[in-house]
Amino acid sequence: MKDKNPGELLRDTLDMLVLKTLTRGPRHGYAIAEFIEETTGDVLRVEEGALYPALHRLELRGLVAAEWGVSENNRRARYYKLTAAGRKQLSEESARWDRMTSAVARIMEA
Amino acid sequence: MSGWRTTIRLRFRALIQRRAFDRDLEDEIGFHLAMRERKQRNSGLGAEDAHYATIRRFGNVTLWKEDTREMWTFTTFETLWQDVCFAVRTLRKSPAFLTVVVFSLALGIGANSTIFSVLNAVLYRPLPYREPGRLMTIEETEAGRQNSGEPPAIADGADWRKQSHVFEDIALTSFTEPTSLAGDGGAEQARAQFVTPNFFHLMGASPMFGRIFTASEAQDLTQTVVISSPFWKRRFNGDPKVLGKTFKVSGVLSTVVGVMPPSLGSFYGGPLDMWVPIDAESARYSERKDHWLIAIGRLRPGATQSQAQIEMNVIAHRLEQAYPATNKGVRVRVMPLHEALYEGAGRYLYPLLGAVVCVLMIACVNAANLLQARTETRRTEFAVRASLGAGRRRLMRQLLIESGVLGLAGGMLGIGLTFAGIRLFLAVAMDFTEGDRVTLDIRVLLFTLAVSLATALLVGSAPAFQAARTDLNLALREGERRTTAGKGGRRTRHVLAVAEIALAMVLLVGAGLMINSVLRLQQVNPGFDPTHVMNFDLSLSEGEPYVVRVPGGDIERATPLVTAFYRRLLDKVAAIPGVESAGMITPYGFGYSFSVLGRPAPPPDKMPRTGFREISPSLFRALKIRLKKGRYLSGADLPGAPWAAVVNETFVRRYFPHEDPIGQRLVLRFIDLDQKQPRQIVGVVGDVKWYLPEREPDPIVYTSYLQQDSDYRGGGILSHLAQTLMVRSVPGLGNREADLTKEVKKAVAELDPDQPVTNMMTMEQSLARSIGDAQFYARLLEIFAAIALLLAAIGIYGSMSYFVTERTHEIGIRVALGAQRRSILGLVAGLGLKLSLMGVAIGVALAVGLTRVIAQFLFGVTATDPATFAEVGLGLLGIGVLACYIPARRATRVDPMVALRHE
Repeated sequence: MKDKNPGELLRDTLDMLVLKTLTRGPRHGYAIAEFIEETTGDVLRVEEGALYPALHRLELRGLVAAEWGVSENNRRARYYKLTAAGRKQLSEESARWDRMTSAVARIMEA
Repeated sequence: MSGWRTTIRLRFRALIQRRAFDRDLEDEIGFHLAMRERKQRNSGLGAEDAHYATIRRFGNVTLWKEDTREMWTFTTFETLWQDVCFAVRTLRKSPAFLTVVVFSLALGIGANSTIFSVLNAVLYRPLPYREPGRLMTIEETEAGRQNSGEPPAIADGADWRKQSHVFEDIALTSFTEPTSLAGDGGAEQARAQFVTPNFFHLMGASPMFGRIFTASEAQDLTQTVVISSPFWKRRFNGDPKVLGKTFKVSGVLSTVVGVMPPSLGSFYGGPLDMWVPIDAESARYSERKDHWLIAIGRLRPGATQSQAQIEMNVIAHRLEQAYPATNKGVRVRVMPLHEALYEGAGRYLYPLLGAVVCVLMIACVNAANLLQARTETRRTEFAVRASLGAGRRRLMRQLLIESGVLGLAGGMLGIGLTFAGIRLFLAVAMDFTEGDRVTLDIRVLLFTLAVSLATALLVGSAPAFQAARTDLNLALREGERRTTAGKGGRRTRHVLAVAEIALAMVLLVGAGLMINSVLRLQQVNPGFDPTHVMNFDLSLSEGEPYVVRVPGGDIERATPLVTAFYRRLLDKVAAIPGVESAGMITPYGFGYSFSVLGRPAPPPDKMPRTGFREISPSLFRALKIRLKKGRYLSGADLPGAPWAAVVNETFVRRYFPHEDPIGQRLVLRFIDLDQKQPRQIVGVVGDVKWYLPEREPDPIVYTSYLQQDSDYRGGGILSHLAQTLMVRSVPGLGNREADLTKEVKKAVAELDPDQPVTNMMTMEQSLARSIGDAQFYARLLEIFAAIALLLAAIGIYGSMSYFVTERTHEIGIRVALGAQRRSILGLVAGLGLKLSLMGVAIGVALAVGLTRVIAQFLFGVTATDPATFAEVGLGLLGIGVLACYIPARRATRVDPMVALRHE
C-alpha cells in the first residue's frame, strides 16, 4: 500500500466512522452527522459539509448503497445503508485501526 | 469484485442524468441544512442566528456541493468539454474571424489531403498481390554502364530461375502491350501482357474459373491464353462457357483456358485484356538479345534483398563466363517491385506535395496572424481571468483548445474540399490510369486528422504562450487607456505577414515558370504543318499471313503481303474524296547504329547511333516537311533499285559537318544485324518534332517501306508492322474527322477485315498530348498559386486592417494636430509596401533554391528565369499594396473626435 498523507488519513478515518455509524441501520446524512458529533463530543469536529463528498465516495466504491426515503418529519431524504462490501471493508479498517491505536498506545505508555 | 463496475455504472448515470443528479444533491444537502436549522431554532436561536450557525457548522455549501459533484464526474473530461464549449461560444462571437481562419485552413488541408490521396494510391498502398513485400524486380545493367537498368534478356531470366535459391521463383512479364486480335466478334486492338507460365502463381493470383498456364505452353502456331474479367464481360458478355473459345492474337490461334478475377489487373491500372504465355527457354530467345520482359522474383520467407543481390551477383558472373558475347560486363540489380514500378511517379508527385505543403504553411501563417491579433485584443480578458484565479496552464489550454477547434473545423471542411480536389486532380491529369484507385480511405482521413491537429498546434502555440506570459498589471492598466499594443506582438504579426508573402512568392514563381514553359511549348515549330492532318494507328498481326517464322532461331520474316497491304491502303486512302495526300510512318526506332562506307569501321560497341523511321515516300509531301538538300524519297525507290535514305539536319550536323552528305553510303545495323544493302543518302530534310518538349532533335534516317529487309530478329519486325497513317485533308472542308475515320476504317477492312484501326486523333491533338505533362503541372500549380495568392492577400489585408484599428487613436491625434490625409495614407501604405518588399525579397531567395525540383518539367525557361521572377515579384507587390488600400483609406477617414474617444 502506498504512503498516505495526513489529509488522506483523516479522510479514511471519516469513511470508517461513517461505515461504523451505518452498522446501526440505514440513516440519512444529517442523522449520521448528529450521531458522530454526539458520540465524539467536540473532539472530532469537522465541517458537516465534508460528510457529503465522503458519503458519495463510499457510494461510488460500492461500500454503501443509497436510496430516497421519507424522513421522520415527512421530508424527502437520502438514506444510506451498509453493503456487504462495506461491512467487509469496515472490519478490515477497524482491525487495522485497533492495531495502530494499540501500537501508539504502547509507545505512549512506555 | 464488482466495485469498479458499480463505479462506472453510477458515474455514467450521473453523466447522462446530470440535471436529475444535481437536483438530488441540492435536495439532500437542503434537507440537512433544514434539519440543522430547525434544531438550532429549537435550542433557542433567532431565525437569522440559526441560519448562520447552520452555515458555520456546514462550511461553504457551494464548495462542498462542488466537491461532492466532483466525486461523480470525469473531471478532466468535463472541464475539457467545458473548454471546448466555451471555445465554440467565443469563436462564434466573431464570425468573420472564424470564417476566414477555418476557410484558409480548409483550403490548405484540402489541398494536402488531395495530393496525399494520390500519393497514397500510387506510392503508399501495398501492391495488390500476395505478400507484396517479398516481390523484387531484377534488372540487368547495360554492359559497362553501372547505373543503367534494363529488363534482362529472356534466356538470362530463365537461367536465373534455375540457379537462384534465395528466390522461391522468378517470372518474366511484359507491361501491357497492344496486339491485334481477330476472330468472331470482329478485329480489334487488344491489350496483352506476355508472361511466363509461373507468373500467376508467383503473384498469388488464381483464376475465377478455368486454369492458368502449364509449363511451356506457348507454341509458335497455337497457344492458350488467360483472359481478364473486363475482357470476358466485354467480348464474351460474361458467357460462362467461354473456356475453349478461340481467336487469333497477332495471327496465332489462341484458346481461352482461364478467366482471372477483376482483382488482377495491369501494373499501372490501365485496361488489360489477356495474358499470353511466353516460353522463356524456347530456342527463339537463345541469342540473349531480347530485353523486353521484366523479371519479378519472390523471395523465400525470411530472405532479404541484400542476400538476393549477393546471390544474383554470383549468378551474373557465371553467365558472364558462359556467354561472354552478350553478357560481358553485365551486372544485376535487385530492388523491391514497388520501388521499381513507382520510382518515377514519386519524382513526379513529390514536388506537388511540396507545393501543397507551401499552401498549407501560408494558410497556417494566415491563421496564426489573425489569431495573434485576436490574442492581443483579448489581453485584458486574459488578465481579468488570470487575476480571478485562472491558472496559466488553464489559460494556455483554453487557447490551444480554441485553435484545436479551428483546426478540426478546418479539417472537416478540408475533407469536403478533398472530395472536390480529387475530382479536379483527375480532370486535370486526364490520362492518369490509376484514377479509380485514388479514394478517400482511412489513411487519408487519418492523415487529414493529423494535419489538422498539427496545424492547430502550430497556429495556436505562439498566442497560447503569450497569453500565459501576460503581465497582469500592464494588461489591466492598458485596458483602461488603450494605446498601441506591445512591440513584441506587432513584430510577430509583421514577421508572419512577410512569411506569407514569401511563401506565396515561391508558389507563384513555380506556377509562372510552368505557364511560361507551356506557352513556349505551344510556340514550338514542329517542323511540319500539323493542320488538317489526322493520324490512325494500325499494326499488322505478327503471324499468318504477314509473318512467317524462320525455323531454328529468333528470325521472323515478313511476307510480300505486308508491302502489298501498305501500297494498296495508301492508294485507297488517297482516293477518298477530300483527302489531299496520305503518308505512313513507323514508330521511332531505337537501337540502330551505322557505319559509313569508305570510312574505317569502328568496333561494334563504338558505332555511331541514329534514330530510324520507315516511311512511305509520300510522307514528306503529306506533312510538308521541308527539303533542305537533294530529293525526297520517291515511288521509284523500289526493291530492285539502289537503296535510298533521307536524313535530317541533325544527322548531317553530327556526322557530316564538313562534307556533302548526298551520295554517302550507310550500312545500317539493327540489334547486331546489318541490313543487307547499303543505303545512299539522297536528300536532307528539316528536323521534325513529333514530341514537342524534345530539346535536341535526334539524328534520324528515313527509309522507304519498299526498300526493307524481310528478316527481323528479336521482335524487331514490329518496327515494320506498326504504322501510323497520316492523312491530310483538303483545307476548308470543315470538321470531317468522323467521316474520314469511317472511310479509313472501310478502306482497311476491305483489305483485311481482321485488321483493327486505333488511336484516331488529329495531329494537333497528338502534339498537345506531347506537352500534357507540362500542362498538367502548370494547371495544378496555377490552382495552388491562386489559393496562395488569395490567402496572402487576406493576410496582408488583415495585418493592415489591424494596424489601422490599433492606431486609430494615434491617427486621430495626428489628424487633430493637422496631419494631411496623404501622410496618413503614406503611413499605412508605406508599412504595407515595406512588408511586401521584404516578403518578395525573401521569397525570391527561397524560390531560387526550390524551383530546381520542377526543372525537369520546364521548357525554354531556366528554373531561375529572371523575367518570371520579376513579373511575379512586381505582381505580388501590386497585390500587397492593393490589400493595404481599403485599410489605408479607412485610416484617412478617421474622425479625430471619435478616434480620441476610441476606447
